Amino acid sequence: MSPLFIIGFGLIILGTVATAWPSPKDYITRLINLELPAFGILLVMLSFDETLALLTFIAVTSISTFLFVRVIEKREGTP
Amino acid sequence: MIDTFHIGMFAASLCIIIAFFSFMKETDDLHRLLLTDLASVMALFLIALVGTDLAEALILPGLVVTISKLMALTEIYLVKEGIQRNQPARTLDIEVLQSAPAILASILVLYGIFLSGFSGGAVAGLGVIFYIICKGHQERFELIETVSGYAWVAWIAAFFIILIFPSQWFLAVMIAGGAILIKVTAKLSLIGTMRGESDV
Repeated sequence: MSPLFIIGFGLIILGTVATAWPSPKDYITRLINLELPAFGILLVMLSFDETLALLTFIAVTSISTFLFVRVIEKREGTP
Repeated sequence: MIDTFHIGMFAASLCIIIAFFSFMKETDDLHRLLLTDLASVMALFLIALVGTDLAEALILPGLVVTISKLMALTEIYLVKEGIQRNQPARTLDIEVLQSAPAILASILVLYGIFLSGFSGGAVAGLGVIFYIICKGHQERFELIETVSGYAWVAWIAAFFIILIFPSQWFLAVMIAGGAILIKVTAKLSLIGTMRGESDV
């Protein structure tokens, strides 16, 4: 069990708790807290040498962040 | 005997239970959408624990399904709440989106072409999305669709080359890799036009 796996593993658990119960309960806090488990899973993939999955995960995560930012902006916006 | 896989399984079960309880108590739909993304991360963690080439082969379609599901759900949410024509609030004004996007986009596109194949197409498409979001766009859908159609034809032709002339497999693999790169790039760059003032 490599140190990378242990760090990623801890980040996933902490990040899940932080995303499930964010402290000021609004959309942006939850969106930022969601990056914690995502970073944890990146470290887990790195420890298992899954390069292709890691690169694609980075690309897909940034697209999904754009999508969420767009929806939150529309939600908070004025008609 | 407790090894890495079992520890990971316990952690994943714990996280899934936490996410489930949080999901159950949530009433706001957008919060639920964000928790859906958390659930997909849990699923990817479970698959990644296998730790072989099989895991890698399973993660790639999982990621594609995740992003298409998110796109569809966000569109449905916007229509359901009737906020599709809202003027977006600028609370999340990201500085990088205004300054120096061209060099970042070109780095991403070059790296995607270097990777080639499906992942390369995804990375290059991300670069194009980034550029379109930052710099605005004109309606050039016909051009993108035409390029995508020709790439599709080249992909099919590569498969026929493999089936009919198996000795030319290297040429066919190269054609298929390049064609799927162009096709995924074209399809992904359409996402970038969603953010503009004219609605999708």
